[in-house]
Amino acid sequence: MSPLDRSRQPKSGSIRKFDFPDVERRTLSNGLDLRVCKLSRLPVVSTNLFFRAGESQLVESRAGLAVLTGDALEGGTQKRSGTELAEALEGIGARLGVTTGWEGTSVSMSCLTDRLEQALTLLAEAVLEPAFPEDEVDRAREQQLAAIRQRAMDPAALASMEASRRYFVAGIPYARPQDGSEESIAPVKRELLSDYAESCYRPEGGGLIVAGDLDPDEIEIMANHRLAAWTGAPPAVEDFQVDPVTRERRVWVVHREGSVQSEVRIGHVGTDRATPDYFSLSVGNLLFGGSFTSRLNLNLREENGFTYGIRSRFGFRSRPGPFSVSTSVGTDVTAPAVGEIVKELVQLVEGGPTEEEVAAARDYAAGVFGLQLETAGQIASRISQLVVYGLPDDYYHTYRDRLRAVTTDEVAAAMSVHIRPQEVQVVVVGDAGEIVAPLESLDLGPVEVVSAP
Amino acid sequence: MSQLTIPVERHSLDNGLKIVLSQDRTVPVVAVNLWYGVGSRNETTGKTGFAHLFEHMMFQGSAHVPKNKHFELIERAGGTLNASTWYDRTNYFETVPSHELELALWLESDRMGWMVEAMDQEKLDNQRDVVKNEKRQRYDNQPYGDWDERLQALVYPEAHPYHHSVIGSMEDIDAATLDDVASFFKTFYVPNNAVVTITGDFERDAALQLLDKYFGEIEPGQPIPPLPGDLRIHPLIGETVREHVLADVPLPRVVMAFRIPPYSSDDFAVAEVSRALLGMGRASRLYRRLVRERRVAKGVVTFAFPLLTGASMLLAWATGYPGASPEELEAALAEELEGLAEAEVHEVERAIALTESDLVRGLERVSQRADLLSMFELYFDDPNRLNTELDRLRAVTVDEIRAFAKERLGPDNRAVLTYEPKGEA
Repeated sequence: MSPLDRSRQPKSGSIRKFDFPDVERRTLSNGLDLRVCKLSRLPVVSTNLFFRAGESQLVESRAGLAVLTGDALEGGTQKRSGTELAEALEGIGARLGVTTGWEGTSVSMSCLTDRLEQALTLLAEAVLEPAFPEDEVDRAREQQLAAIRQRAMDPAALASMEASRRYFVAGIPYARPQDGSEESIAPVKRELLSDYAESCYRPEGGGLIVAGDLDPDEIEIMANHRLAAWTGAPPAVEDFQVDPVTRERRVWVVHREGSVQSEVRIGHVGTDRATPDYFSLSVGNLLFGGSFTSRLNLNLREENGFTYGIRSRFGFRSRPGPFSVSTSVGTDVTAPAVGEIVKELVQLVEGGPTEEEVAAARDYAAGVFGLQLETAGQIASRISQLVVYGLPDDYYHTYRDRLRAVTTDEVAAAMSVHIRPQEVQVVVVGDAGEIVAPLESLDLGPVEVVSAP
Repeated sequence: MSQLTIPVERHSLDNGLKIVLSQDRTVPVVAVNLWYGVGSRNETTGKTGFAHLFEHMMFQGSAHVPKNKHFELIERAGGTLNASTWYDRTNYFETVPSHELELALWLESDRMGWMVEAMDQEKLDNQRDVVKNEKRQRYDNQPYGDWDERLQALVYPEAHPYHHSVIGSMEDIDAATLDDVASFFKTFYVPNNAVVTITGDFERDAALQLLDKYFGEIEPGQPIPPLPGDLRIHPLIGETVREHVLADVPLPRVVMAFRIPPYSSDDFAVAEVSRALLGMGRASRLYRRLVRERRVAKGVVTFAFPLLTGASMLLAWATGYPGASPEELEAALAEELEGLAEAEVHEVERAIALTESDLVRGLERVSQRADLLSMFELYFDDPNRLNTELDRLRAVTVDEIRAFAKERLGPDNRAVLTYEPKGEA
């Protein structure tokens, strides 16, 4: 006989307090913001060099140029060919990656701690002295064009691209894919890349983040030594206003002959990273569609079996990004699935979340934050967010407390402001012949079949 | 990095459950990770895809835990969880703040011991739909999504348990019954076929007590039945076998696979370093030659599958540019793979350095540590093998790589799967 009553959920143990690790902040001689986080864990280090060469600073005819320039950095430097640069990095086990987004370009590197000095030299060389040799630029451009073409045949990518076009007013950066179009990329030559890097790869407004088992003083010396000659600011750019295409709810079907599954995106313009509602919306999104036990997933997957998974998300950017629900559902259940999603949106906004849902989402968010601070890379990218979005230095030290302070009323209020079921654009990539009539009978708004771009 | 020194402690319970503990108290996070010695290779004819469907059923509740409660409680605790099914095993894992260790053990032990009581037809039908959606989303509606199904069928003989894919056939999924769930559970989900690993922030004695408290009373099962099918497999395919697929894909792609020694073989490290030399990083041979210099491929991927039964697989694929001829792409890929027979020492050194630092970086996460320890315990009865992984990689020589290329990467051991965009032939 076991004395154990299995039906009783065990009690939690005592919480071990854990704070976001301390970050030392310095300013390099060229004005670059240096942030060093000392971790005494494994002998690995992650660094991140961020500067404001981003896609949202480009006009439409240049769309994708920042992405292409970033990718072409691996083409080599004034001192080394592309292969030599890769061999030098990988020969010491270092990984270098370039990510270009709306806000800027981020060059991240990770290596074992005793290799940092060599690796940092190579990173600086790659960014400050890029050569953009013609054949490497041609290759990078052809790769990007192939990716653009590949996207047009991938239903998930196609749906996301179509959604951006239907949520955001034409002509603003957010309405287009980050890597541009055939028209904007095909004519690009090496001169354009080197001019772009010369003018936009500048330290002002950027930062260098280093996390690992190291001494901040040493890092400062190392970084100054390699980056002091790098100065200046990227050109000022015109701000843009983020507006929706329409406030009328509409359904857009991108026809894909014989599709066995429909890719669905439902949403509209959301809000920006600086919104005072950030924490309320984060909690609200978790309970609505941001976790396994969210309303959307329990309904569409666990009750109805319509999908393998469903998610909702606010894309917080320096200007208002999208709020979007995304999923992939069987062709025959496309209309019922869309109907359920819209119903859930309406119920959320009209009825608000329950106390219990908010408490669970708050606990999840506050707990999982600690789980995401295990690696040097995770910590470096968190700190980078402070630089990118101009958040205060103590932001992560108060992060959990601010999450835990969110109330049910605040979530209800924030969701009802930032989610507007009557204004959503419904985008479906699937077999129009099978899904249009059932979608029309949902009576959500005009249904239009459009061809893939 | 001279040597890995991850602490490893082994235990077992009377019911046969194996236990691995590895403490690291830097961050207040603990990982619980279970590996069951069952995967798609254990599926019999007409039951393909069942191991994976069963994995889904493991989240549908157990005698003392209602449906969805497992997810709800772990998320509420600020934890993350998931599971995956593969050829040789199925794993289940949680990472939680360390004061919630007991919760994770309670949930995992309840489904190990008392899952079947909570099953019903509605749950089975629901998860059958979810799995069919997964198959459509990830395989059928995804360009190139069905490559592993096709490749396995080419590389392994029909009677071999790796001939069919993990996702299996939808007809078989449709035919699955509640009786199948019960019998699979009784056969494979027994403590004597499982490993529990705990890594991260925990008290050793308290953890052992909790393991005994929650898992100790689970009844052991029968010995695990031998694998179905005919396990005999020649080390080489014997010829070039091929399949040409005209499909709705944007770009031509050639996928090549080769039989290689199983993961348990001492020679597997040679395959692993070869794989890195060929396709890991921007200075890798295939990237340098095919992508950068010859510009016939937009991208390349290589992978060495760590499989146990008879023969494993090394895989290399190249995606061509629009309009490229699949035949030329195949010839170029074959040529560079065969060129491995003239590999140079600096290439081997680079491959080892990169594999090494990737391994160490992976160990930053307690969940990854736990997963590797469970694997080494289940596959090799030796979780300490983790600490000697680097030595095995470093011992690989350029001569071994060259010999491997000659022996394994030639036309007498090749499966070629070609995707050609429709309408461009």
